[in-house]
Amino acid sequence: MSFLHLRNVCVDFPIYQGSSRSLKKALLATSTHGNLGRDALDRINIRALNDVSIDIVNGDRVGLLGLNGAGKTTLLKVLAGVYEPTEGRLVASGNVSSLLDTQVGLNADATGHENIILRGMYMGIHPREMRERAGEVATFTELGHYLDMPVRTYSAGMMIRLAFAISTCVPPDILIMDEWLTAGDAQFLEKAQRRIENFVRGSSILTLASHSTELVERWCNRGILLHHGRVLSIGSIKEVISAYRRLIDPDAQQAPPQMAAVG
Amino acid sequence: MHLETVSGETGRIAELPEPSSRAALAATDLLEGIRKSWLWTTLAQQDVKLRYRGSILGPFWQTLTTAVMIGGMGLIYAELFHTELYDYLPMLAVGLIFWMFVAGMITEGCGTFVGVQCIIQQVRLPFSLHAYRLVYRNLLLLAHNFVIIPIVLLIFPHPISWFRLIELVPGLILIIVTGLWVSVLLGMISARFRDVPPIVASIVQVVFFMTPVMWPSEALGRNAWWAQLNPLFAAIDVLRGPLLGQPTASYSWIILVTMTVVGCFAAFAFFARFRSRIAFWV
Repeated sequence: MSFLHLRNVCVDFPIYQGSSRSLKKALLATSTHGNLGRDALDRINIRALNDVSIDIVNGDRVGLLGLNGAGKTTLLKVLAGVYEPTEGRLVASGNVSSLLDTQVGLNADATGHENIILRGMYMGIHPREMRERAGEVATFTELGHYLDMPVRTYSAGMMIRLAFAISTCVPPDILIMDEWLTAGDAQFLEKAQRRIENFVRGSSILTLASHSTELVERWCNRGILLHHGRVLSIGSIKEVISAYRRLIDPDAQQAPPQMAAVG
Repeated sequence: MHLETVSGETGRIAELPEPSSRAALAATDLLEGIRKSWLWTTLAQQDVKLRYRGSILGPFWQTLTTAVMIGGMGLIYAELFHTELYDYLPMLAVGLIFWMFVAGMITEGCGTFVGVQCIIQQVRLPFSLHAYRLVYRNLLLLAHNFVIIPIVLLIFPHPISWFRLIELVPGLILIIVTGLWVSVLLGMISARFRDVPPIVASIVQVVFFMTPVMWPSEALGRNAWWAQLNPLFAAIDVLRGPLLGQPTASYSWIILVTMTVVGCFAAFAFFARFRSRIAFWV
């Protein structure tokens, strides 16, 4: 039984720049208490997530929608356990595999084959076990002889194939993916969807951020719309997509007829 | 804009268990890190291998560099200090190799977390794992350099009390534990304040000349205690004494034990308080 429960989660990002990164300035500031203090320690806090409460349980495939800067990636990082909420709580159960970045644990100078083992290690899979799975991962990527070359020679699409294949080689309980996945080609996306459907059927959770409403509509059954760090809308994917469309284009009273027929 | 709940979400709300305390979370982090020892040992071995990838000697390139440095410095400084090479070179070799180990952990400790920021930002791993990896990597480098010590002691034989070599065990353990708390503490401070690593680097460089590594502390005569109260000297002294068959300075063990215990408590308190901020700092 895997789940993700968020209660009143807030995430504040301190923006450190220039002098607030300096220990010397910070020490001076505490000892003078004067104008200097305010100047030297002008820390700006950005509330990336504000009072977010969500429950995601077995079999949920959640599409995360929102404009740039709405807090999608921050929410994914909270779900992945990378960021601890500044306020509120996250309670999670199940092994999490996160595909936030294609580069994690990849060594640009090592070959594709070597990197399969390496990235597997960061996912908590012992090299011995990973070697047994390496063949299957290699087949899924369809990269063939490219796997003998250093990954710095790979195109973005090839990196995506490699990263996706490794991250899903052991069906995770919870798979968290950021929007870069959609940069893959159509044939790969088709293949990726089939693989995800397989393990989501086996009572897993998928959380996917994307700007492509077609993609989330195809892949997801639930939706969350974020706006300025708040949950604006949560529910079935179709309802959330129409809320997203209203957000993008408030003038259009209703979705166009042919869209309504689909959604 | 107001919150728009489209379908019945309230039915899914579950009771959450009580949150754990910060100290408990920090302790869990340290234990989880130990449990993943296969990961940090493999990563550290790889760090060492990658650093010398492409060179024929591999990691022993490091050994050769150290050997050349010891040989060169030994010849010149033995002359400068008017001492016999026979006495001077073993002291310098053992001292310098342990200095490189201790100083390496301090300077690299500034990058414990910043150096692996892409990992911290993407995958949930115990933070302590990065400190274990760093200390283990430095131990591996020490092992490569250590090869020089028996060679030097064979060329310039000194009476060794084999019984005293046992002292190396508690000495090394204390230094490893100190290395751990230093890399956690400095790693966190340097992640938050980016001007710390260069400050630490220059302090370490200055302290090198103030620590009796290249010169015997007795050279200070009546003022030898100045140098002997230096905690870095204490760390080197407890390892160098038994290897050279010389007595350990009177305060070295007390200083080292105190530094380890006090440092552990301070670093743990700091780690418990700010652990959750590391991901935002890096």
